[in-house]
Amino acid sequence: MITEPIHLALFEEDQINEAAEAISILRSQGVPDRNISVISGVPLSEHILGRPMSWSRVGLIGLVGAVAGFLAALAITYLPVLIYPLNVGRMPVFPIPTTLVVVFELTMLGLLISTLLGVFVETITPSYGPHGYDPRIAHGKIGILFTCPPEVDCESYDQLVALGAELTHNLQERKLWP
Amino acid sequence: MAAETSYLTGARADLEQSELAEEHLMLDPRPREEMNQMVMEAMTTTTPVYWAWVGGLALIVAVCLFGVWGYMTATGIGITGIRRPVFWGVFIVTFVFWIGISHAGTFVSAILRVFKAEFRRPFTRAAELMTTFGLAGGAMYPLIHLGRVWTFYYMVPYPNARWLWPNMRSPLVWDFLAITTYLLSSTIYLYLPLIPDLAMARDRTTGLRHRIYRLLALGWRGTEAEWHRLRKAINIFAFAIIPVMFSVHTIVSWDFAVGVVAGWHSTIFGPYFIIGAILSGVAAVVTILFVLRSTMRNFKYFIRPEHFDALGKLLLVFSMAWAYFFFNEYLLSWYGGEEAVQRILTLHATGPSAWVWYLMLICNVAIPWLTLWNRRIRRNPLAMFFITLAINVGMYAERYTIIPLTLGHQRMPFDWGIYNPSIFEISIAIGTMAMFCLLYLLASRAIPLIPVWEVQEGQMAHSLKKVGKAHVPSVTELE
Repeated sequence: MITEPIHLALFEEDQINEAAEAISILRSQGVPDRNISVISGVPLSEHILGRPMSWSRVGLIGLVGAVAGFLAALAITYLPVLIYPLNVGRMPVFPIPTTLVVVFELTMLGLLISTLLGVFVETITPSYGPHGYDPRIAHGKIGILFTCPPEVDCESYDQLVALGAELTHNLQERKLWP
Repeated sequence: MAAETSYLTGARADLEQSELAEEHLMLDPRPREEMNQMVMEAMTTTTPVYWAWVGGLALIVAVCLFGVWGYMTATGIGITGIRRPVFWGVFIVTFVFWIGISHAGTFVSAILRVFKAEFRRPFTRAAELMTTFGLAGGAMYPLIHLGRVWTFYYMVPYPNARWLWPNMRSPLVWDFLAITTYLLSSTIYLYLPLIPDLAMARDRTTGLRHRIYRLLALGWRGTEAEWHRLRKAINIFAFAIIPVMFSVHTIVSWDFAVGVVAGWHSTIFGPYFIIGAILSGVAAVVTILFVLRSTMRNFKYFIRPEHFDALGKLLLVFSMAWAYFFFNEYLLSWYGGEEAVQRILTLHATGPSAWVWYLMLICNVAIPWLTLWNRRIRRNPLAMFFITLAINVGMYAERYTIIPLTLGHQRMPFDWGIYNPSIFEISIAIGTMAMFCLLYLLASRAIPLIPVWEVQEGQMAHSLKKVGKAHVPSVTELE
């Protein structure tokens, strides 16, 4: 958890180039990538802003859910027949084609529900990087949150202001979720 | 002279650009703050007329749906028109109708998202909402049709006293699983892209609304990691929900096709049902868009004739595809020469209920084909409203033809009969229609119906590019 004061450089929604430039400036001043976080009202991919790739385990969690759904489907189709086999003249006790429908539906259900769970789990998991928020982000503005190492004087980032940024220092963290 | 030419060229270019901006939402950007304000204003404005509609619809739901269903449960399903030989009537017809409507959201949102059709952006949420509420209406019908609804738990596999286990591979269980999967996944698919807009609403509301949005927005700030995660989840959903959508209506069609019933036992029923579902679903999206555009503040900016035009083209294609499947199914059944099937087909076209069959063909083929080829009609929202209403009337007639009109004339002539739906069945069908409208009306004031961030993302990606002497819209790949 970062304890240093958080600063915010806020750019207008059409200043994507300037925001990307500001990140380069911060990096050249010695602010490491882990101490920079970008918040925006629209998705801006990492390669647009020149940022390291984000990662997410949502896909993996979804896959685990799909496997769980698949196993659940096998359980509900096969276990009752194992417990109470019904022999109907020349009909298979374990018919595969009709089982496939149940397997498909429950596998997809497992995948989709666990994808949502993945989003939820990653949301409540503590994240690195400076935390902070400004409601103007939902107006489309682009915010660069950063903290500075003690040897760097963040207050004097005139270069960011020259790029058109509105600087806010010592941003207070807002509680956005119960 | 040269200066004059340059001036004229500049004026023409301005005119060209303003015309393009008027035409395309993506080329007519407004500041995000203004768009947020427009959506919030539409969401928080209610008039006495709105509340009168809410009250009226709530009354219809209470009386026609729950009141009549309660009465039917207490009295017995004998009060309906369902009796030998027709055991599937209006309940199943309406069930198939609602499941069909629910295909709209997935088609418009998931398939158009996968193929990056840009015109989808402002109305994906309106379509997704239709899916959820359409499914909610449809999912009630198996319970209503059951009659003795309290015996529903018989389907649950549990070790009961007689050690009887339900057959988990039965088509009815397929139905249950498919609808449950689709209902849950389409609700989640509605929710995920909503999170950034809920955060926007959170920042602009106070009191109870603020607390609810704060909870639902999951602490959204718009960080790179959050966007990355959201995009990944939406992509998984967009791809995974498409086969689920296909499976749902295929399984609904298998409810019919797996039985050796003349007129139902057809291998083409799966795709035939799916294309019909997409046709009725997309038609319903257009109907809803017209109502939203006409009744909700600021929606004329977001929903434009270009959207009706694009959906109109899709409807024309789906109408042709439906006609192809219908003819394919009809021709092969007729040519096959099985007497019972031939009798049914003749009965559909010449029997006492032939008007239903002709209504189906007029609404699903004649009306779309005669109108939707015309760009001016496609761009006229009012005309599109009536055309799409007609298509859904036609699709209801199609299901009515397939179900009770086919069941009434099976292989044994001594067992033929005519089905007459009772007032109770019609009342319940009207009740679910009112429930759908009521839920939609309430949701229109509870969640942002326009995905503002998706619209802004699209507007950022679009620009005018000069090619020769013309300015043409150009899309940049931002992902």
